[in-house]
Amino acid sequence: MNALLEHLRVSLRLHFRNRMALLYGYLFPLIFLVAFWVLYRHEKIPLLRHMGELLTVAVLGGACFGLPTTLVGERERGVWRRYRLSPVPTWAIVTSTVVARYLIILSAGLLQLAVALAVGMTMPEHPFALWVAFTFVSFAFIGLGLVIATLADNVPAVQALGQCIFLPMLIIGGVAVQLASLPLWAQHVSAYFPGRYAVESLQAGVSGRGFAGTRFSLLALGLIGAAGCLAGAKLFRWDAQQRFATRAGKFWLVPALAAWVAVGLLAEWRGRIAVPVDKEIAPVATMEKSPPRGVPTTSASVEGRAPSRPEPQLLPPSTPTVPAPPAATPPVPKSEPAWMRITDKDVAALDYNVPPDQGIVSPMAPPDEQPEDFMKDQVEGVRSKLPTWLPGTDGDDLRCVRNLLYVAAVPDAIQMPVERYLPRVVYQYLLETYPKDKLIKMLTYIALHPEEGGVIDDISDLGVEGSAGDPMVVRERAYLYAIKYIARLTGRVEE
Amino acid sequence: MPAKVNVRDLRKRYDGVEAVRGVSFAIEPGEIFGLLGPNGAGKTTTVECIVGLREPDAGELEVCGLDARRHPHEVKQKIGVALQTTSLQDKITPREALQLFGAFYRERAPAGELLERFALTEKADAPVDTLSGGQRQRLALALAFVNRPELVFLDEPTTGLDPQSRRELHAAIAQMKRDGYTVLFTTHYLAEAETLCDRVAIIDRGRIVASGAPRELIAQASGTQSVRLTTSRPLARERLAALPAVSALTTDSAELASAHFETSDAVATLAALTRLLQESRVELLDLQVRKASLEDVFLRLTQEEEP
Repeated sequence: MNALLEHLRVSLRLHFRNRMALLYGYLFPLIFLVAFWVLYRHEKIPLLRHMGELLTVAVLGGACFGLPTTLVGERERGVWRRYRLSPVPTWAIVTSTVVARYLIILSAGLLQLAVALAVGMTMPEHPFALWVAFTFVSFAFIGLGLVIATLADNVPAVQALGQCIFLPMLIIGGVAVQLASLPLWAQHVSAYFPGRYAVESLQAGVSGRGFAGTRFSLLALGLIGAAGCLAGAKLFRWDAQQRFATRAGKFWLVPALAAWVAVGLLAEWRGRIAVPVDKEIAPVATMEKSPPRGVPTTSASVEGRAPSRPEPQLLPPSTPTVPAPPAATPPVPKSEPAWMRITDKDVAALDYNVPPDQGIVSPMAPPDEQPEDFMKDQVEGVRSKLPTWLPGTDGDDLRCVRNLLYVAAVPDAIQMPVERYLPRVVYQYLLETYPKDKLIKMLTYIALHPEEGGVIDDISDLGVEGSAGDPMVVRERAYLYAIKYIARLTGRVEE
Repeated sequence: MPAKVNVRDLRKRYDGVEAVRGVSFAIEPGEIFGLLGPNGAGKTTTVECIVGLREPDAGELEVCGLDARRHPHEVKQKIGVALQTTSLQDKITPREALQLFGAFYRERAPAGELLERFALTEKADAPVDTLSGGQRQRLALALAFVNRPELVFLDEPTTGLDPQSRRELHAAIAQMKRDGYTVLFTTHYLAEAETLCDRVAIIDRGRIVASGAPRELIAQASGTQSVRLTTSRPLARERLAALPAVSALTTDSAELASAHFETSDAVATLAALTRLLQESRVELLDLQVRKASLEDVFLRLTQEEEP
């Protein structure tokens, strides 16, 4: 034990003396973090929705590049040959190396988290679940790193093999590009990559439901990690003169590959392929019943929270999370719009526990608060253009009201200075345009069906420049403003 | 007192080629034993089998009274090995390396003691990649002594060293002998084997072709003298071989050709050589005649083995 602790201590020290290791282990993931921060700068809570991806990149870099580079580099130099001359078994030193790598990866993950918090991200909602997921992800990718170390005869080969795994995982494996943005075939392919499960389980710890619903992901990561560690241990080479091509027992690679395939097939069989959130391409029939993920449905899930990451098993597209209109609703003629069937009971059943008006999510200025001088023109510009704004005036009333809600939602999603004042302008315009009862029904219907219809994430024709980027966020904010308006219209909130 | 190393009929095969073919030898306590042989002769494979880096195909290995094939980890507790290259991470320091490898053993020498003994105190906290070749080799030696071993293996410890570093290493090995250590070392440099070793074994093509004290081996060849000559043009090999009393002839084909041979009658051989040079109109640039050395014995034995 003393030997392994000493080896662990020296391994960690040497890591921090190696500039290239620091570059790959710490700087490289931070570059990704900054890139994501720039890309998604309009999101309300910076990086919250992307920490799963960022932490996965950190683990991938440390485990699939850092670990095999260290192992193969030391093997080439004859360090492992030197270890082999000592009475400590090789497996024990490999174990110590792997533990050291886990600690290095963990430190890289904590650094990323610290930087993300420093730029405004909120604390992860389930820290313990996040740590457990991080450990599973590390285990899976360290297993993969051991296999790479076995396959590669030299350090350049590690880089080549690592890129062969790293880049596909980034691009079509759900790590750097959100799965919902990918074509369906790529979503199928991603089910065979551990990156997808890594992002899912980590994101659940950051902004999702913690352990709930990540069982499949953790199982997949555990299986892939165990198979990789088994193959890596059985094929471990301490001697640089022994080339992989001439090595016996190559069949031990089969379990490592079989684990990936098994996980993919299992995902296919359980229907976990398609991503049911953050998408505008889902069938309308599905959206009818399904609110956008992240739309608050309980009082505990509202304040300061952005939509969580896809969690397909948790919430199949056909499962409503917002109560559907009661079956006892009186029958109406077929030609009558569905929103007209909304009853007082439906209105009362809504969850009014929304973020406070003075908060950072869905803020709304009091009626008597005037915008500062530099915003006045913009606010007044929107006020004057609304009566003639085509999306708010052309078409059926429900669509117009929904589009008007987006006028309040988009500045909030972009975090513009006018975000507090435009909701008030929209509210005033709605009051002046529609009868109160009708307005309450339409807003309630929208709150119950927030994914219906197209989303407007750009209101530059109203003089408000910028794009929200993520339609999911805009829908979420529109939902919140619908609730806030209903609360005012029904007297639940007095002004 | 039982032998520290007892190797009997050791065999090892790589990809169908038998690298070691029935090697047997013993090393007595306190002895410095040299294993000599040309590249590819099988000496490294022999040592690797003894120290537990390779699993032999056949044969018996007894090290420090233990069956090395059945108890490799116990044997490793009792031996120290200095590899040809230092084999350490670039950024590790000598002190850290000695502490790390010391932690692997039940018995261990303090790092400070080893640093002082091998004149590394000044470089104790410098990264290995800043050490000179000699300092690295001294570190490799220090690592071999980190567990206070009963038996030390030195694998070509002086290869690639400058003359000063080599001299320092010779002194260190001589000190090991005075301290009573048992040492097996392999080398290409026959002069240092002649100087340092109590006994040597010459290995060629996987078999031991001669063994004994260097002076005994030289004595076997004492009836011969070694002749080395350099000429302005190469002389025909068959004409040199035809000189009286010549054996173990080797020639180098180059612009300034040289040849080496042994003779049991130096006067007759040199008289015939003079005539040959006159007839061939070849200029003699250098001529050395001396008693046979271990190198001559080595060359004769390894050439005799050539098919």
